[in-house]
Amino acid sequence: MANSIECGKEAAKHFAFAEGYRNLNHGSFGTFPTTIRDQLRHFQDQTEAKPDSFIRYAYPKLLDKSREVVAKYLNAPVETCVYIPNATTGINTVLRNLVYKQADVIIYFATIYGACEKSVSYITETTPAESYKIDSTKFTYPISDQRICQLFEEAIGSVKAAGKTPKLAIFDTIVSLPGVRMPFEALTALCKQHNVLSCIDAAHGIGHISLNLTTLDPDFFFSNCHKWLHVPRGCAVFYVPVRNQHLIRSTLPTSHGFAPLPIDGAGKVINNPMPPSGKSQYVSNFEYVGTLDGSPYICIPAALEWRSRLTWEGLRGEEAVMGYTRHLVVEAGKRVALRLGTEVLENEEGTLGKCNFANVLLPLKFSEIAGGDAGEAVRVAQWIAKVLVEEYETFIAIIVYADAWWVRLSGQVYLTVEDFVWGADVLREVCGRVVKGEWQQ
Amino acid sequence: MVLKPTQPSSAGGEIEKMESIECGKEVVKQFSFGDGYRNLNHGSYGTYPLPIRSVLRHYQDEAEARPDKFIRYDYPKLLDESRAAVAKYLNAPVSTCVYITNATTGLNTVLRNLVYETGDVIIYFATIYGACEKSIDYITETTPAESRKIEYTYPISDQTLCDLFEEAISATKAAGKVPKLAIFDTIVSLPGVRMPFEALTALSHQHGLLSCIDGAHGIGHIPLDLTALDPDFFFSNCHKWLHVPRACAVFYVPERNQHLLRSTLPTSHGFAPLPKGSEAVINNPMPPSGKSAYITNFEYVATLDNSPYLCIPAALEWRSRLSWQGKKGEEAIMAYTIHLAREAGKTVSSILSTEVMENKEGTLSHCNFANVRLPLASSAVAGSDRGKAVRVAQWMEKVLVEEYNTFIAIIFYEGAWWVRLSSQVYLTVEDFEWAAGMLKTVCERVEAGEWEQ
Repeated sequence: MANSIECGKEAAKHFAFAEGYRNLNHGSFGTFPTTIRDQLRHFQDQTEAKPDSFIRYAYPKLLDKSREVVAKYLNAPVETCVYIPNATTGINTVLRNLVYKQADVIIYFATIYGACEKSVSYITETTPAESYKIDSTKFTYPISDQRICQLFEEAIGSVKAAGKTPKLAIFDTIVSLPGVRMPFEALTALCKQHNVLSCIDAAHGIGHISLNLTTLDPDFFFSNCHKWLHVPRGCAVFYVPVRNQHLIRSTLPTSHGFAPLPIDGAGKVINNPMPPSGKSQYVSNFEYVGTLDGSPYICIPAALEWRSRLTWEGLRGEEAVMGYTRHLVVEAGKRVALRLGTEVLENEEGTLGKCNFANVLLPLKFSEIAGGDAGEAVRVAQWIAKVLVEEYETFIAIIVYADAWWVRLSGQVYLTVEDFVWGADVLREVCGRVVKGEWQQ
Repeated sequence: MVLKPTQPSSAGGEIEKMESIECGKEVVKQFSFGDGYRNLNHGSYGTYPLPIRSVLRHYQDEAEARPDKFIRYDYPKLLDESRAAVAKYLNAPVSTCVYITNATTGLNTVLRNLVYETGDVIIYFATIYGACEKSIDYITETTPAESRKIEYTYPISDQTLCDLFEEAISATKAAGKVPKLAIFDTIVSLPGVRMPFEALTALSHQHGLLSCIDGAHGIGHIPLDLTALDPDFFFSNCHKWLHVPRACAVFYVPERNQHLLRSTLPTSHGFAPLPKGSEAVINNPMPPSGKSAYITNFEYVATLDNSPYLCIPAALEWRSRLSWQGKKGEEAIMAYTIHLAREAGKTVSSILSTEVMENKEGTLSHCNFANVRLPLASSAVAGSDRGKAVRVAQWMEKVLVEEYNTFIAIIFYEGAWWVRLSSQVYLTVEDFEWAAGMLKTVCERVEAGEWEQ
């Protein structure tokens, strides 16, 4: 195929990294090929060429087309899919719209993303809702999927036993740090079984693992397209099945599309600058949420088209992208662990690594270096991260987890095993410097 | 080898090397409008010149060149530089200024953070921006707060407006309630008229209300001195009148009120939960900084392309290059645009044989808008059907875009159709002469019933 791009060194030419920079942490902020950059700029130029014409008239059509494409990709009805800037907005939209009664409980796991936990805290401070955290006293990775599900059911049981109502459960498709896959399908099914609303933080989801939202059937689901779908920041898809859309009254922030409850039968007529459309009230509500550069949202068709050109070992498109990145990161984990004389984080069944991350232990003795002080340990991690950026032209996510330091390697179509072999050597060197005490200066 | 954040040397150099540019026909070359497109509605979405696009793209390229390095390490420093520049521009302490995406987010941040008790009332004016009214509705639905809307029609004198405001406050108190927050604009969106916001702020202070100023149309449009003004909350879209790309707004909150805003919107890494004894440290991916908790909270609010926030220094630099009749920079821009708006209003109303919306004291038009009535008899065209009247306005707007390669905001207000003309540094009187002729023709087509087909 004339247009095809082989994963690895060939695909790397399509990206705009600084020369010599090795992007080993795709998972945090993602990136996109120059073809998509050009598409983004094309839309931005069209906007400045005729601002009102583009934003009011042309854009809504492009947005709908993009929604159709992403809905098809996720196997979801188009009326369930809208765009928001990022997953954090997604969790806040759900949490802040739900109406909580005394004794309503939000259940979540210790591995929840930091900003999401902060959002839950804010809700428990400002509404009657309480939270129940399945925390690190109950589990630490590695752990089996079975055990996670067990802990989840136990949590629901505990909440009920205390005379409270488990209202909402929040869990990830793939945890951020460490980067491990969760048994989210089973957890969603358990939510249904126990009548708990399921809210899936799939920040790491679309374009990363196969998803079928019709089969999965969560109550709320959002996923960052700018992480793994080669779409510019900020763009996330927000899925809410029609049965739950009445629960999400307002966008975040509230904007033109909000339909106030009618008072005395007659609603107010409030000027809405957007031309009228024939879509559902829910979809219209999310069409325009405060002035933003909406160009990333309409880059999905181009991103999927670009991805369809990728090849690897006879595979093409999504299969090639997902096959290659998985294969690469598994190899990467092995090589780095070997070089460092440590291990990859994995459970007995081998399910944690079914994603584009490999978490490798650093050869640093926690008690010796940090003296058991969590604050010190975090400072070590921050020092390592800074040194990687300032001296080695790379970045790798480093976390303190279970009294150890781990690196989270991200696989990607523009990387090869050689990048991770190089990374391993760098980490060896940097760990040596930590042991020498350089981080304390 | 320490890699420092790179300044946009080529783009910054481009602006530095600029000779002065006279407002009008010369400036338009700096913009990137489509062939022949006349942008007569700058007020809705703003736009920015090509040198600023270069700066924007520079930062976007830096972000893709080394994503983590730029976002985690370089961006916060550049953001602080930008905050310092905008704080200076507004004569506000830098500790009070953060960036958010837009004014709607600003209002929602204030409304949703405040804690309301039964009897608390939010007072606002009938001319409030649509999305802001919706936001208040959402708050009154979901919290104990109530709202009180001050109804009035233009034209009206500043004095009367202030009197109505004081009456609303008294009436609220007389009903045994607490006027907690007042929301008002610097410049109303539609119609585009200036409000006596300085006086309203002073009255808010006097009567013990929190003042929340929607300055969506503010920064870069009219001179602002936030120290002198001293509102309780203030936000203004930089992407409207400051020649900064979308989306970017400055959010000003004096230190005395920062404790009232616990959370950003959405809540993100910087939120500090109330202490509940000893708890695990929640992982925050951003490197630690030495700034206040409030500033840090707004530094990173979920993943976005925040490059527009970094463009303020370059935008101010570019604006400083503009000239008009011997004036330079901000003085030139504001004098030119207000002068042009007045000329535009006169010209268009003269050609249409109608009038410009103005009060007796002539204060409504102290801004870059001119609102001109269209020569259409509403009773003949739409009967008393407001829905029809709105459809007429929508039809006209669509025709402008599809056939005349322009856009003008058209509203149905108090029984008549009005156009809101936006003046700008890239426009001249000739643009508005052309507009008048075009509007005349479109009105004739409305009268001929074309809009109903």
